[in-house]
Amino acid sequence: MLIREANEHDIDQIMALEKTCFVNDAWSEEVMLSELEAEHTFYVVGFVGDNLVGYGGLSKLPGSHQADIQTIATAPAERGKGYGRAIMQALTAQAIKLGAEEIFLEVRADNKVAQKLYEVFGFKRIGVRKKYYQPDGVDAFVMQTSLVRQPLVLGIESSCDETGIGIVRGNQLLANVISSSMDKHAIFGGVVPEIAARAHLEALNPVLNEALDKAGVDLDEIDAIAVTNGPGLAGALMVGIGAAKALSVATGKPIYAVNHLVGHVAADILANGKVETPTIALLVSGGHTSLLLVRDLLKDVVLLGETIDDAAGEAFDKVARVLGLSYPGGPEIDRAAKDGSANAIRFPRGLTLPKDMQDHRYDFSFSGLKTAVARHVELGESKGEKLELADVAASFREAVVDVLVNKAVSACKEYGINRLLLGGGVVANARLREYATEHCEAEGIELRIPPLSLCTDNGAMIAVLASQLIAAGAIPSTLDFSAESTLDVRVVQS
Amino acid sequence: MKTLAIDTSAGTSIAVLDRDLVLAEVNYLENMTHAERIGAAIKEVLAKADLKPVGIDRVVVGLGPGPFTGLRVGIAAAKFFAIGSGAEIVGVCSLDAIAFDFFKQNAAANLLVTTDARRKELFWATYTGVTNGIPIRDFGPAVNKPEDIPTSGLLTTDLVVSAAALGQIAYNLGAKAQTEITPIYLREPDATPGKGKKVSG
Repeated sequence: MLIREANEHDIDQIMALEKTCFVNDAWSEEVMLSELEAEHTFYVVGFVGDNLVGYGGLSKLPGSHQADIQTIATAPAERGKGYGRAIMQALTAQAIKLGAEEIFLEVRADNKVAQKLYEVFGFKRIGVRKKYYQPDGVDAFVMQTSLVRQPLVLGIESSCDETGIGIVRGNQLLANVISSSMDKHAIFGGVVPEIAARAHLEALNPVLNEALDKAGVDLDEIDAIAVTNGPGLAGALMVGIGAAKALSVATGKPIYAVNHLVGHVAADILANGKVETPTIALLVSGGHTSLLLVRDLLKDVVLLGETIDDAAGEAFDKVARVLGLSYPGGPEIDRAAKDGSANAIRFPRGLTLPKDMQDHRYDFSFSGLKTAVARHVELGESKGEKLELADVAASFREAVVDVLVNKAVSACKEYGINRLLLGGGVVANARLREYATEHCEAEGIELRIPPLSLCTDNGAMIAVLASQLIAAGAIPSTLDFSAESTLDVRVVQS
Repeated sequence: MKTLAIDTSAGTSIAVLDRDLVLAEVNYLENMTHAERIGAAIKEVLAKADLKPVGIDRVVVGLGPGPFTGLRVGIAAAKFFAIGSGAEIVGVCSLDAIAFDFFKQNAAANLLVTTDARRKELFWATYTGVTNGIPIRDFGPAVNKPEDIPTSGLLTTDLVVSAAALGQIAYNLGAKAQTEITPIYLREPDATPGKGKKVSG
């Protein structure tokens, strides 16, 4: 069954089901339409193929901490398949998202099946409305369940070229707005820190407003503010920090300064509800290439290795320039490599020789690879040969991906951890995902890749990391923390 | 009309005013600690003035010129303080604050105001006096090497930017104060387009 938010085009199917399920007391089409369209309601429909098999609705007034289940229905022929439970789950999740602390509902006293379902969700009978259902004259049981109110956290990220503001309620993503200055860096072939910092300052207000709008919350509902204080570009970080501190003082809300790299790991919570630990995490972007051992997200994150020169994303950018392709290099090289052979040219795999593996088992180096590509191209030019762009691009990409995945997989094996999490913008690279999937499958390793919008730098991952800190009882940061461009991954909160 | 004034074009200067009366001001002169100072400094000055953030009607921010990294901290803070407290926000050229304070104690004259622009250059502007509490800037702001800045017949001053002065200027400007919050950089980002593709050898 596919569940989605209902709209007015579903009305015919909903009304047909309504009349089947509630023979004597079905709502009129008019009432149903106004429920679907009301500002304070949330209705979902469940489809199997083109057939509506169930629907349900929730009402939650802004400012109120109570939500009501308005109705829920499952097609008679489709009962006992867990559809009703799935619809209840969607409605409950929305109630939590909207900040409800309790949910109420009424159920027919003679509908034991429905009552059983509600009990599974923690609902208890708190009262009776006599002869509530007419014309049948049946009593209604009023049922209620309490929800643990999850903190509403706003996260600000400005460590590189993305201004990100995200809003989460507990582990639930409400908004993730990103403004990138990537286009402004294109003619320079890489991120220019001053340009990035200027763009952050311009983006602050529009990104904040859009995030609040998307989440459907007001600033005064926010329970805590989170901000990246490193690692990253100092001047860029300071824009987010200055804004976050002033917002904290102005609203009187606590502030949490958190680690950008650990934030990338925490992004998995937004995709999957939690980060399964222990896990190995490979973070690859234009600024980082880091291999982490995460035994506990908040208490035990260890850096196994990182790049000793260029970050993987930077290597893509630089090689793209060598090949006459534009910035950013990752997608350009992916495109150019499409019909190329990954084995056409054997480019070097950095830090994989036995002597390097002693000191740099989990470190990376892409500078030599970049030079090797440049030499290959220049040598070909000097001989007057035509550049086999597709082959060079595919072979280069393979060399990068090969080292990244093999080192990550061997870390999984050495530490006996059957889990690998990917993060960072380079995860957008199709070949990296494909290669990691193949190798993890072969080795029996569970691979987790959050959606790309959560892999690139974003404020939601910062917010959800702070949300974990709050749940664990961490005290807020004091207002005097600084931007730490080389912040150690072991420092989750400053 | 309560104003919170913020300037990080040189040090970190924060003030709270009631109309043009300064209720409290804090000044941290070091020029590399803006990001560390800004939050606690705003809190400190509000406490000294015995005001809550919602009591602020207007945020005034120094738009520079000043070294970029520090300057942005104050502007970023001013923007989000305004949103968080529901105050309006206006910007004033930071050099105007120095001229304003100078003419408080001196008669109208031709004044040259300079501040450090790093890289052996100065940010500068010239002023002729004050009208209705607003400094009259007849040239600048600009950035040049010291030897290229005219000095003959101009007075100079050791005064530094004070947020209190910015708050007073903004009060005197009233509704004419600038609502567009754009830093006065005066220099393009220091970067040159990619050099082409030869990277080996």
